[in-house]
Amino acid sequence: MEISKIKDALEAVIIEANDTLEGTVEHIYASDLMSDVLAFGKPNSILLTGLATRQAVISAHMAEFKGVVFIRGKRPKDGSDHFARDHHMVLLSTQLDMYDACLRVEAVKRGEPQNHEPDATGTVNEELLLCRELIIQGSDFASAGMASTEIKSVLKTIGLDPKLVRRVAISTYEGEMNVVMHAIRARVVLSVTPRIIEVVIADEGKGIPDVNLAMQEGYTTATEEMRAMGFGSGMGLPNIRRNADELLINSEVGKGTTLVMRFTI
Amino acid sequence: MTTKDLIDKIGLRPLSTFEHREVNGVFVSDMLSDVMAGAKSGNLWLTVQTHKSIVPAANLVDVAAVIVTGGKEVPQETIDIASKYNIAIMVSDLPTFELVGKLYALGSFAK
Ligand SMILES: Nc1ncnc2c1ncn2[C@@H]1O[C@H](COP(=O)(O)OP(=O)(O)OP(=O)(O)O)[C@@H](O)[C@H]1O
Ligand SMILES: [Mg+2]
Repeated sequence: MEISKIKDALEAVIIEANDTLEGTVEHIYASDLMSDVLAFGKPNSILLTGLATRQAVISAHMAEFKGVVFIRGKRPKDGSDHFARDHHMVLLSTQLDMYDACLRVEAVKRGEPQNHEPDATGTVNEELLLCRELIIQGSDFASAGMASTEIKSVLKTIGLDPKLVRRVAISTYEGEMNVVMHAIRARVVLSVTPRIIEVVIADEGKGIPDVNLAMQEGYTTATEEMRAMGFGSGMGLPNIRRNADELLINSEVGKGTTLVMRFTI
Repeated sequence: MTTKDLIDKIGLRPLSTFEHREVNGVFVSDMLSDVMAGAKSGNLWLTVQTHKSIVPAANLVDVAAVIVTGGKEVPQETIDIASKYNIAIMVSDLPTFELVGKLYALGSFAK
């Protein structure tokens, strides 16, 4: 299968391609479990995955894959593209979910003609209108709030509903302050499509041992010093839950926390 | 009632540079998450907090002005960023309770 055909079928965008988009692959392997990729992946494949990390790219390389396609518009933000370039791998990103992506690639394999109309949910062809990446440093109370301020002004300039922008701003501020107070550093990625605003705050830090407890109003581990500055009322996460249409929290103790906040436009 | 009217009526000292605007209510809190949750766009925010991160907070919830009560000194840094973002920071020498009393006596802020 030609990689370029796979790219077209998935309506994917190129994250990294070197000169290998010309090449072909023999197999497609779809998985989010890198141990499976290493155990069952065959050389000369392309990986479809929802795991947008350097680890995914490295695993694919170890399994002698030619490239990785990230589903649902994901893009690794951790220098994976450098790794891919150095190892002559292709990285693509498609808006499709895993099921639809597999169907499309299967059709390419069978040599069926491609005709992809946008589907009813509107997720296909969903273009990224805007993507911003910012860094937050933990303990840096001096610049605390700057990332959310920046995101607010960016959203305001593209003319979104002020009420929606306010909900995004408040949620982002609370997420940002949590990094400043409770973590070491974080990367913030703002993505806007015609349908959705997504803010992802991924931090390195101590993590949250009990997310349900942390979500309770009034629960805080803030220090006296932080409380004196007006933080630590234990209302940050509940504020986000109230303002975001969707909130996903993934935390690993000793590693860090990732907040995914989504707002429907 | 505008921020300009309030300066004369209750004796506020403006610190940052900003454009005057309409005030539609008052929110009192020293906890930033409370402000995030409860303050409305166009409110006056009364607080004793003076550190820099009150500016992004004020900007994000879009309060009409931050009023630092009790004549507390505000760091120059805070004033500078506030001016940069066109956020009104004013000081009142009155303690919060007395200032609230005066504001209450002024009656409704709604137009
Ligand atoms: N990114 C994070 N890393 C580690 N722990 C976190 C993180 N975010 C939240 N927590 C934990 O969850 C608790 C509750 O968070 P929440 O934002 O609701 O309140 P707070 O940050 O303590 O106070 P406030 O947000 O009201 O200033 C925190 O006290 C902290 O223990
Ligand atoms: Mg918090």
